[in-house]
Amino acid sequence: MKTKTYLAIALTLLLLLLAACGNDSTSSDNLDSKGTLVVGGKNFTEQFILAKITSIYLKENGYEIEEKTNMGSEVLRQALSNEQVDLYWEYTGTGLINYLDQEPASSAEEAYQTVKAIDKEENQIEWLDMSNVNNTYTLMIREDHAEQLGIQSISDLANYVNENPGTLTFASNAEFATRSDGLSGVEDVYDFQFGSSNVIRMDSGLTYQALDEGQVDIAMGFSTDSRIKGFDLLALEDDKEFFPAYNAAVTVREAIVDEHPELVELLAPLAESLDTETMTTLNYTVDIEQMNESEVAREWLLEQGLIEE
Amino acid sequence: MKRQQLLTNGIKITFAILIVIFFVWSLTAGNFQIIFDQPEQFFHLFIQHIQMVVVSSLLALLVAIPVGIFVTRPRFRKLEWLFLNTANLGQTIPSIAILAIVMTYLGIGFNSAVFALFAFSVLPILRNTVAGLNAVDPALIDAAKGMGFTPLQILRKVELPNAAYPIMAGIRTAIVMNIGTAALAYLVGGGGLGDLIFTGIVMQDHTYLLSGAVPVTILAILVDLLLRLFEKVVVSKGLRRAASTSN
Repeated sequence: MKTKTYLAIALTLLLLLLAACGNDSTSSDNLDSKGTLVVGGKNFTEQFILAKITSIYLKENGYEIEEKTNMGSEVLRQALSNEQVDLYWEYTGTGLINYLDQEPASSAEEAYQTVKAIDKEENQIEWLDMSNVNNTYTLMIREDHAEQLGIQSISDLANYVNENPGTLTFASNAEFATRSDGLSGVEDVYDFQFGSSNVIRMDSGLTYQALDEGQVDIAMGFSTDSRIKGFDLLALEDDKEFFPAYNAAVTVREAIVDEHPELVELLAPLAESLDTETMTTLNYTVDIEQMNESEVAREWLLEQGLIEE
Repeated sequence: MKRQQLLTNGIKITFAILIVIFFVWSLTAGNFQIIFDQPEQFFHLFIQHIQMVVVSSLLALLVAIPVGIFVTRPRFRKLEWLFLNTANLGQTIPSIAILAIVMTYLGIGFNSAVFALFAFSVLPILRNTVAGLNAVDPALIDAAKGMGFTPLQILRKVELPNAAYPIMAGIRTAIVMNIGTAALAYLVGGGGLGDLIFTGIVMQDHTYLLSGAVPVTILAILVDLLLRLFEKVVVSKGLRRAASTSN
Protein backbone atom coordinates (compact mmCIF):
# COMPACT_ATOMS: atom_id res chain seq x y z
CA MET A 1 0.00 0.00 0.00
CA LYS A 2 2.72 2.38 1.04
CA THR A 3 4.84 1.78 -2.04
CA LYS A 4 1.82 2.47 -4.21
CA THR A 5 1.31 5.85 -2.57
CA TYR A 6 4.93 6.75 -3.10
CA LEU A 7 4.69 5.61 -6.67
CA ALA A 8 1.63 7.75 -7.23
CA ILE A 9 3.33 10.79 -5.73
CA ALA A 10 6.43 10.20 -7.83
CA LEU A 11 4.38 9.86 -10.98
CA THR A 12 2.43 13.00 -10.26
CA LEU A 13 5.65 14.92 -9.69
CA LEU A 14 7.06 13.53 -12.91
CA LEU A 15 3.98 14.61 -14.82
CA LEU A 16 4.16 18.08 -13.30
CA LEU A 17 7.81 18.26 -14.30
CA LEU A 18 7.02 17.23 -17.84
CA ALA A 19 4.21 19.75 -18.01
CA ALA A 20 6.62 22.44 -16.81
CA CYS A 21 9.09 21.49 -19.51
CA GLY A 22 6.46 21.70 -22.18
CA ASN A 23 5.49 25.14 -20.99
CA ASP A 24 7.37 26.91 -23.74
CA SER A 25 5.20 25.77 -26.59
CA THR A 26 1.84 25.92 -24.84
CA SER A 27 2.09 29.23 -22.96
CA SER A 28 1.51 31.35 -26.04
CA ASP A 29 -1.53 29.28 -26.84
CA ASN A 30 -3.90 32.21 -26.77
CA LEU A 31 -6.99 32.72 -28.84
CA ASP A 32 -5.94 35.72 -30.88
CA SER A 33 -2.78 34.04 -32.20
CA LYS A 34 -1.71 35.17 -35.63
CA GLY A 35 -0.73 31.64 -36.61
CA THR A 36 2.17 29.29 -36.13
CA LEU A 37 5.61 29.91 -37.60
CA VAL A 38 8.56 27.51 -37.61
CA VAL A 39 11.83 29.35 -37.00
CA GLY A 40 14.94 27.46 -38.10
CA GLY A 41 18.59 27.85 -37.21
CA LYS A 42 21.99 26.38 -37.98
CA ASN A 43 24.31 24.68 -35.56
CA PHE A 44 26.53 27.44 -34.18
CA THR A 45 26.22 30.11 -31.50
CA GLU A 46 25.39 33.07 -33.73
CA GLN A 47 22.55 31.12 -35.29
CA PHE A 48 21.18 30.04 -31.91
CA ILE A 49 21.10 33.69 -30.89
CA LEU A 50 19.54 34.92 -34.14
CA ALA A 51 16.88 32.21 -33.98
CA LYS A 52 16.11 33.05 -30.35
CA ILE A 53 15.89 36.79 -31.08
CA THR A 54 13.50 36.12 -33.93
CA SER A 55 11.40 33.63 -31.98
CA ILE A 56 11.02 35.83 -28.91
CA TYR A 57 10.28 38.88 -31.03
CA LEU A 58 7.64 37.11 -33.08
CA LYS A 59 6.13 35.49 -29.98
CA GLU A 60 5.77 38.92 -28.37
CA ASN A 61 4.03 40.01 -31.53
CA GLY A 62 1.39 37.35 -31.20
CA TYR A 63 2.65 34.42 -33.24
CA GLU A 64 2.96 30.89 -32.09
CA ILE A 65 6.52 29.78 -32.61
CA GLU A 66 8.10 26.43 -33.09
CA GLU A 67 11.89 26.35 -33.10
CA LYS A 68 13.98 23.97 -35.18
CA THR A 69 17.59 24.85 -34.61
CA ASN A 70 20.91 23.04 -34.60
CA MET A 71 20.76 21.98 -38.24
CA GLY A 72 23.50 21.76 -40.84
CA SER A 73 23.46 24.49 -43.46
CA GLU A 74 22.38 22.31 -46.39
CA VAL A 75 19.82 20.46 -44.29
CA LEU A 76 18.23 23.69 -43.10
CA ARG A 77 17.96 25.06 -46.60
CA GLN A 78 16.33 21.77 -47.67
CA ALA A 79 13.94 22.06 -44.73
CA LEU A 80 12.95 25.54 -45.89
CA SER A 81 12.26 24.28 -49.42
CA ASN A 82 10.35 21.28 -48.07
CA GLU A 83 8.14 23.52 -45.94
CA GLN A 84 9.40 22.04 -42.68
CA VAL A 85 10.82 25.40 -41.70
CA ASP A 86 9.15 28.75 -42.44
CA LEU A 87 12.00 31.19 -41.94
CA TYR A 88 15.63 31.39 -40.79
CA TRP A 89 18.68 33.65 -40.99
CA GLU A 90 20.86 32.87 -44.00
CA TYR A 91 24.04 34.53 -45.27
CA THR A 92 24.12 36.15 -48.70
CA GLY A 93 27.49 34.60 -49.59
CA THR A 94 26.28 31.11 -48.65
CA GLY A 95 23.17 31.52 -50.76
CA LEU A 96 25.11 32.88 -53.70
CA ILE A 97 27.96 30.38 -53.71
CA ASN A 98 26.58 27.21 -52.12
CA TYR A 99 22.92 27.16 -53.14
CA LEU A 100 22.78 29.16 -56.34
CA ASP A 101 26.18 28.31 -57.83
CA GLN A 102 26.98 31.95 -58.61
CA GLU A 103 30.28 33.78 -58.58
CA PRO A 104 31.11 35.26 -55.17
CA ALA A 105 30.54 39.00 -54.82
CA SER A 106 32.54 41.14 -52.42
CA SER A 107 30.04 43.99 -52.44
CA ALA A 108 27.36 43.31 -49.85
CA GLU A 109 24.64 45.07 -51.81
CA GLU A 110 25.44 43.28 -55.04
CA ALA A 111 25.47 39.87 -53.34
CA TYR A 112 22.15 40.64 -51.65
CA GLN A 113 20.41 41.88 -54.80
CA THR A 114 21.59 38.84 -56.75
CA VAL A 115 20.42 36.20 -54.24
CA LYS A 116 17.17 38.07 -53.68
CA ALA A 117 16.35 38.13 -57.39
CA ILE A 118 17.40 34.58 -58.23
CA ASP A 119 15.96 32.89 -55.15
CA LYS A 120 12.58 34.57 -55.62
CA GLU A 121 12.32 33.58 -59.22
CA GLU A 122 13.78 30.08 -59.10
CA ASN A 123 12.97 28.86 -55.60
CA GLN A 124 10.09 31.04 -54.37
CA ILE A 125 12.23 32.05 -51.41
CA GLU A 126 12.17 35.67 -50.22
CA TRP A 127 15.17 37.45 -48.72
CA LEU A 128 13.94 40.07 -46.25
CA ASP A 129 16.01 43.16 -45.35
CA MET A 130 19.74 42.56 -45.15
CA SER A 131 21.53 43.20 -41.86
CA ASN A 132 25.02 44.60 -41.44
CA VAL A 133 26.14 41.37 -39.80
CA ASN A 134 28.87 40.26 -42.17
CA ASN A 135 30.10 36.85 -41.08
CA THR A 136 32.78 36.49 -43.71
CA TYR A 137 36.20 34.90 -43.70
CA THR A 138 38.96 36.80 -41.99
CA LEU A 139 42.69 36.35 -41.50
CA MET A 140 43.77 36.76 -37.91
CA ILE A 141 46.98 37.44 -36.02
CA ARG A 142 47.74 37.84 -32.29
CA GLU A 143 47.57 41.51 -31.35
CA ASP A 144 51.05 41.69 -29.82
CA HIS A 145 52.51 39.84 -32.78
CA ALA A 146 50.80 42.24 -35.17
CA GLU A 147 52.42 45.17 -33.43
CA GLN A 148 55.79 43.47 -33.45
CA LEU A 149 55.66 42.72 -37.18
CA GLY A 150 53.80 45.88 -38.14
CA ILE A 151 50.91 44.03 -39.77
CA GLN A 152 47.42 45.53 -39.71
CA SER A 153 45.95 44.63 -43.07
CA ILE A 154 46.25 41.77 -45.53
CA SER A 155 48.42 44.03 -47.73
CA ASP A 156 50.85 44.41 -44.81
CA LEU A 157 50.83 40.65 -44.43
CA ALA A 158 51.54 40.17 -48.14
CA ASN A 159 54.50 42.56 -47.93
CA TYR A 160 55.87 40.83 -44.89
CA VAL A 161 55.56 37.35 -46.43
CA ASN A 162 57.20 38.53 -49.65
CA GLU A 163 60.12 39.98 -47.71
CA ASN A 164 60.44 37.01 -45.36
CA PRO A 165 59.25 34.01 -47.35
CA GLY A 166 58.56 30.80 -45.48
CA THR A 167 58.66 32.29 -41.98
CA LEU A 168 54.96 32.57 -41.14
CA THR A 169 52.76 29.50 -40.67
CA PHE A 170 49.07 29.59 -41.38
CA ALA A 171 46.22 27.56 -39.86
CA SER A 172 43.28 26.87 -42.13
CA ASN A 173 40.32 24.53 -42.26
CA ALA A 174 39.94 22.17 -45.21
CA GLU A 175 37.37 24.29 -46.97
CA PHE A 176 39.26 27.57 -46.92
CA ALA A 177 42.50 25.93 -48.02
CA THR A 178 40.78 24.42 -51.02
CA ARG A 179 38.21 26.90 -52.28
CA SER A 180 39.15 29.39 -54.96
CA ASP A 181 37.41 32.11 -52.96
CA GLY A 182 39.56 31.10 -50.01
CA LEU A 183 43.31 30.97 -49.58
CA SER A 184 44.41 30.68 -53.19
CA GLY A 185 42.20 33.66 -54.08
CA VAL A 186 43.65 35.84 -51.31
CA GLU A 187 47.15 34.89 -52.37
CA ASP A 188 46.36 35.78 -56.00
CA VAL A 189 44.77 39.13 -55.25
CA TYR A 190 47.34 40.27 -52.69
CA ASP A 191 50.20 38.63 -54.57
CA PHE A 192 51.94 36.52 -51.93
CA GLN A 193 52.36 32.83 -51.05
CA PHE A 194 52.51 31.11 -47.69
CA GLY A 195 53.93 28.02 -49.39
CA SER A 196 52.14 24.70 -49.08
CA SER A 197 54.33 23.35 -46.27
CA ASN A 198 53.51 26.43 -44.17
CA VAL A 199 49.76 25.88 -44.39
CA ILE A 200 48.50 23.58 -41.66
CA ARG A 201 45.00 22.23 -42.10
CA MET A 202 42.82 21.52 -39.08
CA ASP A 203 39.28 21.53 -37.78
CA SER A 204 37.54 24.93 -38.17
CA GLY A 205 37.14 25.53 -34.46
CA LEU A 206 40.78 24.87 -33.63
CA THR A 207 42.37 27.61 -35.69
CA TYR A 208 41.69 30.23 -33.00
CA GLN A 209 43.24 28.07 -30.30
CA ALA A 210 46.27 27.21 -32.43
CA LEU A 211 46.82 30.92 -33.03
CA ASP A 212 46.22 31.85 -29.41
CA GLU A 213 48.72 29.26 -28.20
CA GLY A 214 51.31 30.56 -30.62
CA GLN A 215 51.50 27.35 -32.62
CA VAL A 216 50.86 29.24 -35.85
CA ASP A 217 51.37 32.89 -36.80
CA ILE A 218 48.28 33.57 -38.89
CA ALA A 219 44.92 31.77 -38.93
CA MET A 220 41.67 31.91 -40.81
CA GLY A 221 38.51 32.58 -38.87
CA PHE A 222 35.02 34.01 -39.16
CA SER A 223 34.58 37.70 -38.54
CA THR A 224 31.81 37.46 -35.94
CA ASP A 225 33.44 34.72 -33.87
CA SER A 226 33.71 35.85 -30.26
CA ARG A 227 37.10 34.25 -29.83
CA ILE A 228 38.66 37.06 -31.87
CA LYS A 229 37.70 39.36 -29.03
CA GLY A 230 38.19 36.78 -26.29
CA PHE A 231 41.72 35.77 -27.30
CA ASP A 232 42.93 39.31 -28.14
CA LEU A 233 43.30 38.53 -31.81
CA LEU A 234 43.35 41.05 -34.60
CA ALA A 235 41.25 40.49 -37.71
CA LEU A 236 43.38 41.83 -40.56
CA GLU A 237 41.72 44.48 -42.65
CA ASP A 238 40.71 43.16 -46.07
CA ASP A 239 41.88 46.38 -47.77
CA LYS A 240 41.33 45.08 -51.30
CA GLU A 241 37.86 43.79 -50.42
CA PHE A 242 38.60 40.29 -51.58
CA PHE A 243 36.44 38.22 -49.27
CA PRO A 244 32.85 37.83 -50.41
CA ALA A 245 30.12 39.37 -48.32
CA TYR A 246 28.27 37.02 -46.00
CA ASN A 247 25.56 39.33 -44.67
CA ALA A 248 22.80 37.77 -42.62
CA ALA A 249 19.19 38.19 -43.69
CA VAL A 250 15.97 36.35 -42.93
CA THR A 251 14.97 33.95 -45.68
CA VAL A 252 11.33 32.95 -45.79
CA ARG A 253 9.13 31.03 -48.18
CA GLU A 254 7.05 33.15 -50.52
CA ALA A 255 3.88 31.31 -49.45
CA ILE A 256 4.47 32.46 -45.87
CA VAL A 257 4.97 36.07 -46.97
CA ASP A 258 1.71 35.88 -48.96
CA GLU A 259 -0.05 34.52 -45.91
CA HIS A 260 1.55 37.02 -43.49
CA PRO A 261 2.56 40.09 -45.55
CA GLU A 262 3.06 42.05 -42.30
CA LEU A 263 6.20 39.95 -41.55
CA VAL A 264 8.32 42.01 -43.93
CA GLU A 265 7.71 45.22 -41.98
CA LEU A 266 7.70 43.46 -38.64
CA LEU A 267 11.15 41.90 -39.04
CA ALA A 268 12.80 44.95 -40.64
CA PRO A 269 13.90 46.53 -37.31
CA LEU A 270 15.82 43.37 -36.40
CA ALA A 271 17.95 43.55 -39.52
CA GLU A 272 18.38 47.28 -39.03
CA SER A 273 19.67 47.00 -35.46
CA LEU A 274 22.10 44.15 -35.99
CA ASP A 275 25.65 44.63 -37.24
CA THR A 276 28.93 42.73 -37.10
CA GLU A 277 30.05 44.37 -33.88
CA THR A 278 26.75 43.78 -32.10
CA MET A 279 26.74 40.19 -33.26
CA THR A 280 30.32 39.61 -32.08
CA THR A 281 29.39 41.00 -28.68
CA LEU A 282 26.31 38.82 -28.44
CA ASN A 283 28.36 35.78 -29.45
CA TYR A 284 30.91 36.78 -26.82
CA THR A 285 28.36 36.89 -24.03
CA VAL A 286 27.18 33.40 -24.92
CA ASP A 287 30.48 31.71 -25.79
CA ILE A 288 32.93 33.33 -23.41
CA GLU A 289 30.70 34.63 -20.61
CA GLN A 290 28.59 31.47 -20.78
CA MET A 291 25.25 33.27 -20.69
CA ASN A 292 22.15 31.48 -21.84
CA GLU A 293 21.24 32.44 -25.41
CA SER A 294 17.56 33.02 -24.61
CA GLU A 295 18.50 35.54 -21.94
CA VAL A 296 21.01 37.24 -24.21
CA ALA A 297 18.41 37.46 -26.97
CA ARG A 298 15.68 38.78 -24.67
CA GLU A 299 17.98 41.33 -23.07
CA TRP A 300 19.13 42.66 -26.42
CA LEU A 301 15.54 42.97 -27.66
CA LEU A 302 14.63 44.88 -24.47
CA GLU A 303 17.65 47.15 -24.84
CA GLN A 304 16.68 47.99 -28.39
CA GLY A 305 13.13 48.67 -27.28
CA LEU A 306 11.84 46.02 -29.67
CA ILE A 307 9.90 44.21 -26.96
CA GLU A 308 8.47 45.30 -23.66
CA GLU A 309 9.21 43.94 -20.21
CA MET B 1 33.47 -29.22 -45.21
CA LYS B 2 34.29 -29.07 -48.88
CA ARG B 3 31.10 -27.26 -49.80
CA GLN B 4 31.78 -24.64 -47.19
CA GLN B 5 35.27 -24.10 -48.58
CA LEU B 6 33.84 -23.72 -52.06
CA LEU B 7 31.34 -21.15 -50.82
CA THR B 8 34.02 -19.15 -48.99
CA ASN B 9 36.21 -19.09 -52.07
CA GLY B 10 33.27 -18.08 -54.21
CA ILE B 11 32.52 -15.13 -51.94
CA LYS B 12 36.19 -14.13 -51.85
CA ILE B 13 36.45 -14.13 -55.64
CA THR B 14 33.19 -12.20 -56.06
CA PHE B 15 34.49 -9.55 -53.66
CA ALA B 16 37.79 -9.33 -55.50
CA ILE B 17 36.00 -8.87 -58.83
CA LEU B 18 33.71 -6.21 -57.36
CA ILE B 19 36.69 -4.32 -55.98
CA VAL B 20 38.47 -4.44 -59.33
CA ILE B 21 35.34 -3.20 -61.11
CA PHE B 22 35.05 -0.35 -58.61
CA PHE B 23 38.63 0.70 -59.22
CA VAL B 24 38.38 0.61 -62.98
CA TRP B 25 35.14 2.58 -62.85
CA SER B 26 36.55 5.11 -60.39
CA LEU B 27 39.71 5.62 -62.41
CA THR B 28 37.81 6.19 -65.64
CA ALA B 29 35.33 8.47 -63.87
CA GLY B 30 38.24 10.61 -62.69
CA ASN B 31 37.49 9.99 -59.03
CA PHE B 32 41.16 9.96 -58.05
CA GLN B 33 41.98 13.08 -60.00
CA ILE B 34 43.61 14.80 -57.06
CA ILE B 35 46.32 12.13 -56.96
CA PHE B 36 47.26 12.91 -60.54
CA ASP B 37 46.60 16.65 -60.44
CA GLN B 38 48.61 17.34 -57.31
CA PRO B 39 51.01 14.38 -57.03
CA GLU B 40 53.45 16.25 -54.80
CA GLN B 41 50.75 17.22 -52.35
CA PHE B 42 49.39 13.68 -52.38
CA PHE B 43 52.73 12.02 -51.66
CA HIS B 44 53.47 14.57 -48.98
CA LEU B 45 50.22 13.64 -47.23
CA PHE B 46 50.70 9.94 -47.92
CA ILE B 47 54.14 9.95 -46.32
CA GLN B 48 52.85 11.97 -43.35
CA HIS B 49 50.13 9.35 -42.91
CA ILE B 50 52.62 6.47 -42.95
CA GLN B 51 54.97 8.29 -40.58
CA MET B 52 52.21 8.76 -38.02
CA VAL B 53 51.14 5.12 -38.25
CA VAL B 54 54.69 3.75 -38.07
CA VAL B 55 55.79 5.89 -35.12
CA SER B 56 52.61 5.37 -33.09
CA SER B 57 52.47 1.63 -33.82
CA LEU B 58 56.11 1.11 -32.88
CA LEU B 59 55.57 3.01 -29.63
CA ALA B 60 52.50 0.91 -28.91
CA LEU B 61 54.45 -2.31 -29.57
CA LEU B 62 57.36 -1.19 -27.42
CA VAL B 63 55.01 -0.44 -24.54
CA ALA B 64 52.29 -3.06 -24.84
CA ILE B 65 54.33 -6.24 -25.27
CA PRO B 66 56.78 -5.67 -22.39
CA VAL B 67 53.90 -4.59 -20.16
CA GLY B 68 51.96 -7.68 -21.23
CA ILE B 69 54.89 -9.90 -20.31
CA PHE B 70 55.43 -8.02 -17.06
CA VAL B 71 51.90 -8.39 -15.76
CA THR B 72 51.74 -12.10 -16.57
CA ARG B 73 54.78 -12.90 -14.42
CA PRO B 74 53.43 -14.69 -11.32
CA ARG B 75 54.90 -12.09 -9.00
CA PHE B 76 53.22 -9.12 -10.69
CA ARG B 77 49.98 -10.74 -11.75
CA LYS B 78 48.10 -8.65 -9.22
CA LEU B 79 48.86 -5.55 -11.28
CA GLU B 80 47.18 -6.88 -14.41
CA TRP B 81 43.88 -5.04 -13.80
CA LEU B 82 45.69 -1.74 -13.34
CA PHE B 83 47.51 -1.84 -16.67
CA LEU B 84 44.60 -3.27 -18.61
CA ASN B 85 42.26 -0.63 -17.28
CA THR B 86 44.69 2.16 -18.05
CA ALA B 87 44.99 0.86 -21.59
CA ASN B 88 41.23 0.48 -21.73
CA LEU B 89 40.88 4.17 -20.99
CA GLY B 90 42.86 4.93 -24.14
CA GLN B 91 40.32 2.98 -26.15
CA THR B 92 37.12 4.07 -24.50
CA ILE B 93 37.64 7.81 -24.77
CA PRO B 94 36.52 8.68 -28.31
CA SER B 95 39.56 9.27 -30.48
CA ILE B 96 38.45 12.78 -31.37
CA ALA B 97 38.25 13.65 -27.68
CA ILE B 98 41.75 12.27 -27.05
CA LEU B 99 43.01 14.44 -29.89
CA ALA B 100 41.40 17.55 -28.48
CA ILE B 101 42.67 16.91 -24.96
CA VAL B 102 46.19 16.02 -26.03
CA MET B 103 46.39 19.05 -28.29
CA THR B 104 46.45 21.39 -25.31
CA TYR B 105 49.64 19.77 -24.01
CA LEU B 106 51.50 18.58 -27.09
CA GLY B 107 50.47 21.31 -29.50
CA ILE B 108 48.93 20.90 -32.90
CA GLY B 109 50.26 18.52 -35.47
CA PHE B 110 52.36 15.39 -35.53
CA ASN B 111 53.00 14.91 -31.79
CA SER B 112 49.36 15.07 -30.75
CA ALA B 113 48.29 12.80 -33.57
CA VAL B 114 50.96 10.23 -32.74
CA PHE B 115 50.12 10.25 -29.06
CA ALA B 116 46.40 9.76 -29.69
CA LEU B 117 47.05 6.93 -32.13
CA PHE B 118 49.45 5.36 -29.66
CA ALA B 119 46.88 5.51 -26.85
CA PHE B 120 44.39 3.94 -29.21
CA SER B 121 46.67 1.09 -30.31
CA VAL B 122 48.00 -0.07 -26.95
CA LEU B 123 44.91 -1.91 -25.76
CA PRO B 124 44.44 -4.48 -28.56
CA ILE B 125 48.10 -5.46 -28.38
CA LEU B 126 48.26 -5.53 -24.59
CA ARG B 127 45.02 -7.45 -24.19
CA ASN B 128 46.01 -10.08 -26.71
CA THR B 129 49.51 -10.42 -25.26
CA VAL B 130 48.08 -10.98 -21.78
CA ALA B 131 45.39 -13.36 -23.01
CA GLY B 132 47.90 -15.25 -25.16
CA LEU B 133 50.42 -15.68 -22.35
CA ASN B 134 47.72 -16.64 -19.87
CA ALA B 135 46.43 -19.30 -22.21
CA VAL B 136 49.73 -21.16 -22.47
CA ASP B 137 49.22 -24.67 -21.10
CA PRO B 138 50.69 -24.79 -17.55
CA ALA B 139 51.80 -28.36 -18.21
CA LEU B 140 54.22 -27.04 -20.82
CA ILE B 141 55.71 -24.60 -18.37
CA ASP B 142 55.97 -27.30 -15.72
CA ALA B 143 57.73 -29.54 -18.18
CA ALA B 144 60.19 -26.78 -19.04
CA LYS B 145 60.81 -26.17 -15.35
CA GLY B 146 61.42 -29.88 -14.90
CA MET B 147 64.02 -29.71 -17.66
CA GLY B 148 65.85 -27.03 -15.71
CA PHE B 149 64.93 -23.98 -17.86
CA THR B 150 65.43 -20.57 -16.27
CA PRO B 151 62.34 -18.28 -16.17
CA LEU B 152 63.79 -16.25 -19.05
CA GLN B 153 64.31 -19.38 -21.10
CA ILE B 154 60.76 -20.49 -20.38
CA LEU B 155 59.46 -17.12 -21.58
CA ARG B 156 61.53 -17.17 -24.73
CA LYS B 157 61.29 -20.79 -25.74
CA VAL B 158 57.91 -21.87 -24.41
CA GLU B 159 55.57 -19.00 -23.55
CA LEU B 160 56.18 -16.50 -26.34
CA PRO B 161 56.18 -19.03 -29.19
CA ASN B 162 52.98 -20.55 -27.85
CA ALA B 163 51.32 -17.16 -27.46
CA ALA B 164 52.58 -15.84 -30.77
CA TYR B 165 49.33 -16.37 -32.64
CA PRO B 166 47.07 -14.25 -30.41
CA ILE B 167 49.81 -11.65 -29.98
CA MET B 168 50.16 -11.29 -33.74
CA ALA B 169 46.37 -11.07 -34.09
CA GLY B 170 46.39 -8.17 -31.62
CA ILE B 171 49.17 -6.41 -33.47
CA ARG B 172 47.34 -6.80 -36.76
CA THR B 173 44.09 -5.43 -35.36
CA ALA B 174 45.87 -2.49 -33.78
CA ILE B 175 47.88 -1.47 -36.82
CA VAL B 176 45.07 -1.86 -39.35
CA MET B 177 42.76 0.20 -37.13
CA ASN B 178 45.54 2.71 -36.64
CA ILE B 179 45.79 3.29 -40.40
CA GLY B 180 42.12 4.21 -40.59
CA THR B 181 42.11 6.28 -37.40
CA ALA B 182 45.14 8.28 -38.56
CA ALA B 183 42.76 10.07 -40.93
CA LEU B 184 41.48 11.96 -37.86
CA ALA B 185 44.90 13.58 -37.48
CA TYR B 186 43.63 16.26 -39.84
CA LEU B 187 41.52 17.65 -37.01
CA VAL B 188 44.58 18.76 -35.05
CA GLY B 189 46.71 19.74 -37.98
CA GLY B 190 48.61 16.47 -38.14
CA GLY B 191 48.28 16.18 -41.90
CA GLY B 192 48.03 12.79 -43.57
CA LEU B 193 45.42 11.55 -46.00
CA GLY B 194 42.69 12.74 -43.63
CA ASP B 195 43.28 16.19 -45.13
CA LEU B 196 41.84 14.97 -48.43
CA ILE B 197 39.03 12.99 -46.80
CA PHE B 198 37.84 15.91 -44.68
CA THR B 199 38.18 18.35 -47.56
CA GLY B 200 35.95 15.99 -49.54
CA ILE B 201 33.38 15.86 -46.75
CA VAL B 202 33.25 19.61 -46.22
CA MET B 203 33.22 20.49 -49.90
CA GLN B 204 30.92 17.58 -50.80
CA ASP B 205 33.50 16.68 -53.42
CA HIS B 206 33.92 12.95 -54.02
CA THR B 207 37.15 13.47 -55.91
CA TYR B 208 38.86 14.65 -52.76
CA LEU B 209 37.08 12.13 -50.58
CA LEU B 210 38.02 9.11 -52.67
CA SER B 211 41.53 10.34 -53.42
CA GLY B 212 42.07 10.18 -49.67
CA ALA B 213 39.87 7.30 -48.58
CA VAL B 214 40.83 4.74 -51.21
CA PRO B 215 44.61 4.98 -50.64
CA VAL B 216 43.96 4.61 -46.90
CA THR B 217 41.90 1.48 -47.55
CA ILE B 218 44.51 0.01 -49.88
CA LEU B 219 47.23 0.80 -47.38
CA ALA B 220 45.29 -1.01 -44.64
CA ILE B 221 44.73 -4.07 -46.83
CA LEU B 222 48.38 -4.22 -47.91
CA VAL B 223 49.69 -3.85 -44.39
CA ASP B 224 47.29 -6.54 -43.21
CA LEU B 225 48.63 -8.89 -45.89
CA LEU B 226 52.19 -8.03 -44.95
CA LEU B 227 51.50 -8.74 -41.29
CA ARG B 228 49.87 -12.05 -42.22
CA LEU B 229 53.06 -13.01 -44.03
CA PHE B 230 55.06 -11.98 -41.03
CA GLU B 231 52.74 -14.03 -38.84
CA LYS B 232 53.56 -17.09 -40.94
CA VAL B 233 57.22 -16.58 -40.17
CA VAL B 234 56.70 -15.98 -36.46
CA VAL B 235 54.01 -18.52 -35.59
CA SER B 236 54.96 -22.17 -35.88
CA LYS B 237 52.96 -24.24 -38.31
CA GLY B 238 51.48 -26.58 -35.73
CA LEU B 239 50.18 -23.72 -33.59
CA ARG B 240 48.65 -21.96 -36.54
CA ARG B 241 46.71 -25.05 -37.48
CA ALA B 242 45.61 -25.56 -33.89
CA ALA B 243 44.44 -21.97 -33.67
CA SER B 244 42.57 -21.97 -36.95
CA THR B 245 40.67 -25.19 -36.21
CA SER B 246 39.76 -24.14 -32.69
CA ASN B 247 38.15 -20.94 -33.99
